[in-house]
Amino acid sequence: MRPYQVATAAAIVLIAAVAMSDSLAAFSPSAGTAPGDVGARWYPFWAAAIMAVAAVIVGYRALTTPQPAEGVFEGRQSVFAVLKIALPMVLFATLIGGVGWKTTDFTYTVIPPLGFYIATALYMGGFAWWLGRYKIWWVAAIAGAFPLVIFLAFEIGFRVSLPKSIFYDSGLLPF
Amino acid sequence: MLGEIGTTLGNLAGGFGTALHPINLAMLFIAVVLGLVIGVLPGLGGTSGVAILLPVTVFIAHGSLPGSDATTAIIFLAGIYWGALFGGVITSILFNIPGEPWAVVLLFDGFPLAKRLGRPGLALASSFVSSFLGALTATILFTFFALPIALRALEFGPAELFAVFVLSFATLIGLGAEAPMKSVAMLALGLLLAAVGFDTITGEQRLNFGQVSLLSGIGFVPVTIGLFGIGEILASAEEQGIGYVENISARLGLSDVFAALGELRKRLRLVLSNSIIGFFFGVLPGHGATAASFLGYGLARQYSKNKENFGKGEISGIMGPQSAADAAGVASLVPMITLGIPGSPTSAVIMAGLFVWGLQPGPVLFINHPDFVWGLIASIYLGHLLTFIICLLAVPLLAMIMRVPYAIITPFIVVISIIGSYSLNNSMLDVFITVVFGIIGYWLRKMKYPLAPLVVALVLGDSTERELRKALIAGHGSPLYFFNSALSTVLILAAVVLVLIPLTRTLRARRRAATVVAASADDAAR
Repeated sequence: MRPYQVATAAAIVLIAAVAMSDSLAAFSPSAGTAPGDVGARWYPFWAAAIMAVAAVIVGYRALTTPQPAEGVFEGRQSVFAVLKIALPMVLFATLIGGVGWKTTDFTYTVIPPLGFYIATALYMGGFAWWLGRYKIWWVAAIAGAFPLVIFLAFEIGFRVSLPKSIFYDSGLLPF
Repeated sequence: MLGEIGTTLGNLAGGFGTALHPINLAMLFIAVVLGLVIGVLPGLGGTSGVAILLPVTVFIAHGSLPGSDATTAIIFLAGIYWGALFGGVITSILFNIPGEPWAVVLLFDGFPLAKRLGRPGLALASSFVSSFLGALTATILFTFFALPIALRALEFGPAELFAVFVLSFATLIGLGAEAPMKSVAMLALGLLLAAVGFDTITGEQRLNFGQVSLLSGIGFVPVTIGLFGIGEILASAEEQGIGYVENISARLGLSDVFAALGELRKRLRLVLSNSIIGFFFGVLPGHGATAASFLGYGLARQYSKNKENFGKGEISGIMGPQSAADAAGVASLVPMITLGIPGSPTSAVIMAGLFVWGLQPGPVLFINHPDFVWGLIASIYLGHLLTFIICLLAVPLLAMIMRVPYAIITPFIVVISIIGSYSLNNSMLDVFITVVFGIIGYWLRKMKYPLAPLVVALVLGDSTERELRKALIAGHGSPLYFFNSALSTVLILAAVVLVLIPLTRTLRARRRAATVVAASADDAAR
């Protein structure tokens, strides 16, 4: 447990250091617009400083006090159980908006945006097939039914517009 | 005195008029059922459930439903919380899986009573009647305490308000269950995240590192959905990977309810005292139902004549924590409504809802929107009554939710979490914030960092900074301005004492350990 506690504390210190470097203007003589005002950077600087000091103490205590001998996970099985949920979730979020970047001249697309409904169908269907080991018609039913119910509830019922796919922009699909 | 009581009762009667409006009653019913379902699902907690459904309330508050307004929205959001408070216990008792953190304590006696002693109906009924009595006691206290606190708070200036915020942060550090320095780190992280974007006083950009998308700041809702929704999913995925599910089928009969009422009569003093203690404990920021449930269990055991029965299905081990937990759950709304300070992560989400609907939480609500406040208070009575009745009637149906396959329910919760985070601002950035904070929240949980200080500081960060800087401007930059008022002085001193509590605890433990070592060294020398 000790290395993980120390690494977590170090990560917090790193975040605090980045925030403090962004807030160094707190010490500029021109900070603040009104007499007595400490300026915009003072508060985040000291919040980050407190965070860094607290994390250093947590890290120091992790190094100097007895820690539980067992690791963070109870065996490989529990690591895989978490990864089985985490990785598809990241992929699902990525598929909704796609992956790409813009320059002044071009838009580069690595993965086109599939939109919420197609990504949900793939995600729910994929899960049912992979983890649930359902028959293919059940997988198809799950992949079709959930996006449809969500479309009816949110898009029609609550009038919440969820992200659409590239096929929506080209007029091929209504979502 | 009598006049004040009369005014309060008059306001409450008006509140019932609002809460009993058909649309409000219908939304309360839907919310309670949703809350019960959320409570039953192990991967979805009350806080994340409320956060996920927060965007829906924007449409409710803006009149998308006939006759709905901001009061309907808060009744809906709070109703989910009441349902979740009750629903979480069902899986603890029947399946040995806590549906909510505040139901963990029921594994000690609730599950043994259901399985070993073969009385699942009695275990459930005992839990529901004590929850109901706890919530009812707390709501009565809420009714009569809210207005005096709010009227007093109306006189607060920036120094007093800042001192109240500092005191609430100190409570999170001093009375937290986790290591105090971890609470400090999380609190500071919350304040830091709240500072991202435009500074509200000077309009200056900060902590956005040149990213235009971060100018509007890091949203409270996507962070909370990530920390509590996705974080819980990942945590429960790990448990599912290594654990197994105990399963007891249960039906609640009238005989169980009468038996539970008989048991309640024998423990009326315990349940009432735990309800009152739970209420005052729940008013403290960051100490919602979960901490109160453990406190309630400890008190029940401490004062029981049958200590040896605890852990084997003792009914006091169900009624004690349940009454305290529900009372604390209700009480966590008191500082949110009266002072603008959330008492728990869930009430922090509800408070974020108020901002989204264009309302300012705090004492001015009582002046500017009395219908809203008293409608909410009346709905707490109605919400708990509805929850209680639904629980008595629908336990087998609710337990069936646990039979929905893991391969369907888990991705479904992820999907609705993503909808919740996206739909408030139509922002894909919020979706990524949710996913990233989900993973961060899961890891912080594993490393035993408390999440409540992060969430409370994130929602209070802007107000804290604003009041601090207003006070400093009023005092021409002098920190002594905070000690001009007796109230702010007392509050700041109380905060200092609270922060010192863990330090004295550590020093005392070290001294005790040193004495033991010295004594054993003496023994060895002899």
